[in-house]
Amino acid sequence: MTNVKTRQLSVNGVKRTVDAPANETLLETLRRIGAVEVKCGCEKGDCGACAVLLDGEAVDSCLTLTGTVGERAITTVKGLGGAENPHPLQTAFADLGAAQCGYCTPGMIIATQSLLTNDTDTPDEADIRLALSGNLCRCTGYTKIYDAVLDGARAMREAEAAK
Amino acid sequence: MNKMDSAVPGEQNVSYRQIGKPRTRIDSPGKVFGKTPYAGDYVMPNMLHAKVLRSKLPSARMTRLDVSKARDLPGVACVLTYKDLKIGTVATDIPAQTGFRRRDTDQQILVDEIVRYQGEPIALVAAESVEIAEHALSLIEVELEPVPGVYDVFEAQKPDAPKVFGDDNIVASYKVRKGDVEAGFAAAETIVENTFRTQYIEHAFLEPEVGLGWEDEQGVINIRTSTQAVETFRYIADAIGIPHSKVRIRGALVGGGFGGKCDVTVELYIALLTLKTGRPVRLGYTREDSFYGHGKRHPFIISHKTGFAKDGRITASKIDITSESGPYAFMSPYVLMYATEAGPGPYLVDNVHIDSRSVATNNMYTSAFRGFGATQACIAYEQQMDEAAKVLGMDPIELRRINLLKTGDAIATGFEVQSAVWTEECMDRAWAALGEKPKDEGAIRYGHGIAAYQQGYGRMIWLHDTAEGWVGVEMDGTVVVRSGMTDIGAGQTSSLAQIAGELLGVDMMDITVYNSDSSTTPLAGTSSATRGLYMSGNAVRNAATAVRNRLAARAAQHFGVADSDIDFADSRVFVASDREKSLPFKELIATCASEGIHRSELAIFRAPFGDWIDPETGQGQVHPDYTYGAHAVQVAVDTETGEVTILKSVGAHDVGQCVNIAAVEGQIEGGVAQGHGYALSEELIYKDGCLVTPSLSEYLCPTSMDSPRIECIILESRSGLGPFGAKGIGEPGHTPAASAVANAVADAIGARVHDFPLTPEKIARAVSATRDNG
Amino acid sequence: MYANFDLLVPDELDQALTMIGGAKTAEDCAPLGGGTNLVVDMRASGKAPAALVSVARLPGLRGITIAEGTVTLGAATTVSDLLRDPRMLEVGAAMVDGSRVFAGQMVRNTATVAGNICCGSPAADLVPPLLALGASVTLRSAGGERTVPLDEYFTGYKTSVRRPDELLTSISWPVPAENSASRFYKLGRRKGDAITMVGVSVLVGMKDGVCSEVRIALGAVGPCVFRAKTAETVLKGKAPSPELVEQAARKAMEEAAPIDDVRATGAYRKQQVQVLVRRLLNQTIESLS
Repeated sequence: MTNVKTRQLSVNGVKRTVDAPANETLLETLRRIGAVEVKCGCEKGDCGACAVLLDGEAVDSCLTLTGTVGERAITTVKGLGGAENPHPLQTAFADLGAAQCGYCTPGMIIATQSLLTNDTDTPDEADIRLALSGNLCRCTGYTKIYDAVLDGARAMREAEAAK
Repeated sequence: MNKMDSAVPGEQNVSYRQIGKPRTRIDSPGKVFGKTPYAGDYVMPNMLHAKVLRSKLPSARMTRLDVSKARDLPGVACVLTYKDLKIGTVATDIPAQTGFRRRDTDQQILVDEIVRYQGEPIALVAAESVEIAEHALSLIEVELEPVPGVYDVFEAQKPDAPKVFGDDNIVASYKVRKGDVEAGFAAAETIVENTFRTQYIEHAFLEPEVGLGWEDEQGVINIRTSTQAVETFRYIADAIGIPHSKVRIRGALVGGGFGGKCDVTVELYIALLTLKTGRPVRLGYTREDSFYGHGKRHPFIISHKTGFAKDGRITASKIDITSESGPYAFMSPYVLMYATEAGPGPYLVDNVHIDSRSVATNNMYTSAFRGFGATQACIAYEQQMDEAAKVLGMDPIELRRINLLKTGDAIATGFEVQSAVWTEECMDRAWAALGEKPKDEGAIRYGHGIAAYQQGYGRMIWLHDTAEGWVGVEMDGTVVVRSGMTDIGAGQTSSLAQIAGELLGVDMMDITVYNSDSSTTPLAGTSSATRGLYMSGNAVRNAATAVRNRLAARAAQHFGVADSDIDFADSRVFVASDREKSLPFKELIATCASEGIHRSELAIFRAPFGDWIDPETGQGQVHPDYTYGAHAVQVAVDTETGEVTILKSVGAHDVGQCVNIAAVEGQIEGGVAQGHGYALSEELIYKDGCLVTPSLSEYLCPTSMDSPRIECIILESRSGLGPFGAKGIGEPGHTPAASAVANAVADAIGARVHDFPLTPEKIARAVSATRDNG
Repeated sequence: MYANFDLLVPDELDQALTMIGGAKTAEDCAPLGGGTNLVVDMRASGKAPAALVSVARLPGLRGITIAEGTVTLGAATTVSDLLRDPRMLEVGAAMVDGSRVFAGQMVRNTATVAGNICCGSPAADLVPPLLALGASVTLRSAGGERTVPLDEYFTGYKTSVRRPDELLTSISWPVPAENSASRFYKLGRRKGDAITMVGVSVLVGMKDGVCSEVRIALGAVGPCVFRAKTAETVLKGKAPSPELVEQAARKAMEEAAPIDDVRATGAYRKQQVQVLVRRLLNQTIESLS
């Protein structure tokens, strides 16, 4: 292994020091250090299962070289919330049956979060379909995902308004 | 008529507390929080990483194989070739509960001389890292001498064709002879003939095959893997030459299966490498490995010749079916059986003549895919019905209505269906849901299409299918279910929790389901054949009922009432006739525990057993029962570019009884999206046996941009053989969707594209041909 | 598995130019933008340049400015940046069309406009709109800077006039004149995240009842994206009519030289060039009258 460099990464708010070779992708690095909620589906940017947020914007971690991440904050689906502090999208995806096998779900939720924070917080179905076209789902037929995004977005707006 | 009244008498007018409700599945929280470990997420100390060397050629003789340089590479722990195998073959047969296996269909594990398909494994490497393993692959010296192969099912049947399987390339063949087909054609006013073709299809589950193996303190080879079938442990044990009791397959929640994780793939290689090295071994397929490394859906060529009387009644149906098996048998014989049985569709036809065969070639081998041959049959019979309606000048709905099977009618194999057959109701409701067809505008034309179907659920009855299930109550009143059934994302384990919870009055979220472990959970068979809920649901219902009955007896004694007056709900036990009298469930459990009353049960469910159908006539029973329904689609077709936009897609199905209605809808919606892709965009293209579409940017599953909101209409006849009268829905939701799309496209453009998929180019060409002819 | 390479992450543009300055060939050193093409290619081929210079996050390279009648995109402007800027509909509607059908969200969030040009794919979805808009690119090296009309940039399949020591630093086009409109349409085997079978972009400007400006660009029907100039001349300076539009569409079809591949035959692609050019011309002309 050549060109290994020690790099500082911020993963879900935690600073991690990793030794990553130049040709390692962020997907490989994250899974290697235990962030296995980031799923590997194709390693070519065709499926979206490996999506993470970089400074709030969704990217395919399989297409991102770890060495180019720099200071940017990496957020995985675990960084959005958990059983104690569920993110509204997580609640909506669970309650509305938007996760079947669940393998696309982390990437799907990340892509949705990116849509809602960077593009529009009041998406219609066309916005949702456009925003999720890089996230393949083979189980749900997408219908319940559209429902979950609409419902989660509404819950997020309500939470924002209540602040 | 109230349709509910037409159901076979059974559990009617009952109300449930959990069954049938849209409940959050027990597996959902872990998935949305990113906490669910999938098989590929497990690692172990001292673990090796494996890779598979595959043949680049589809038909070749291996003249040289030298792995010495790979073995000498630092960091390589093990390289295996055919010379290192104690036993060279592995079963490809269905891993059935009886252990029966057709030995003549075994497959070579690693190429010993002849390569029969592109991607066939030649060598296995285990190394300290993935990089070293990949480097080692590149150091293996292989010389392959191309030998003539055969890549077309008709060429393969010629006497001088290269032989890929047996001495005639026929992997299986069947006949159905019912009534007098010639007399039926003689009586026909109109005869309609068409041939339909379907393509190779990839499962494209999001999680590629992966597993981790290790040897434990008892010398058991443990394999944690993503599989639909833990019962393959027997085949693996046979193939590596150790007792069945020394191989343990432990599943994980599966990242999608659709039939593609029923056969043995990575688990066998992991077992061989673990056994050889004594170290843990992980093998994860890349997406490309997955394209080359598991069996695909069969291409079919199906010809229909159908006679119709003046009133539209079918007088005779002659069907010729050819499927492509690739070089190894796998599920091909059974898939062909499903297609043969389903040949004429959900219609009453007295005179049926079917010949079918599965033909070996050097294209990729084929095996199980959701629908298991019944889907391809539907693509043919439902397009044939629409083409016939056109020729007869009849409304396609009315033509179907005249011919639909009813309860008690005999299907093609002569079996008389005993459960509710609500195809007509489903068809009418799906069709009505489309509403008015929009007016054509410019190059855009709109079309409506319908497809009805019949799909068996449960295994073919000669496989003598059984499932076991265990239910027990903990001291705090929570419940544990144990079932060997795998959970492939359809909510299998959650449904078992719901069933046990309903019967024991405990919320499903307070139930833990251990599943998918070949040595510690009672074996329940594969999650395939739409048998999961039917078989394991019944097994768990039997077990929970036994526990409930014992607990009820003790509670009845406590309250001084009859056993039948005891009810369980909300983690309490009640006197049903006087609900003021109740106890916390856990107090009853404590009493039972201290008195030695058995609080658990291992139960078995046996499906109907029977013999093979008559080989000469094809008459007899194939499946325990059938699911019926229909799918309707509205499309807009751009007649210049050939692009299709699906605007509405509606599935109406009699599911017998929903256990979790959200899961039922999920199965239908997911199956429908796969049907959309099947009809329009998905295709594995092999050129002289070589795959030219080995990625998800070339093999085109529908994306969200391609997928409209899918509507489900769910009917409940409570007439099925599953728990609470459920029928299976895992495959049926998918079965008619592609046919409905094809019929909608044909309706829009006034022409039929007979070969799937209906690409923009084929549609544009069909439109021009109509213009040229018209 | 990726080949090994050096990954250089400069802080400033000048540093990047120095790093890439020694490159004699693209195998020595190549710029890495969003990586959405290059990373995939390196994995598929197992080959990589000896060094990659990451330029996607260099200060000053990302952003959209509209000033003095010119639209300028920094090289590292992403496809999503284009979609998020409401001005883009006014100054380059075809770019919005192209951005909406560009891959999936994560790739749009990462892929840069310059990367889409530099990868040189004939199926690149932003190149036909840029050609229709009359864009130029700025190429900069340690030694200086030059501006090249995009129309003269590509020299063949995945080849261009850019030297290995040059970086593409910006893309610009004149703000379209009053009463002009541009469109792009991508024909794919599916609607989402598809590789283009045929991509067509047109820009039409009308003045005094005649087509004062006409540009037609074709993607995925030749070794690189190119302008159908014979077709343009059919309409340029003339009052549009259905006959002229049809004639232009036919000329464009004749200029297309597509190949057969797994997505479509060349014959179908050619036919679709005619269909789409006719359609887009009609749509733009109708929107102006």
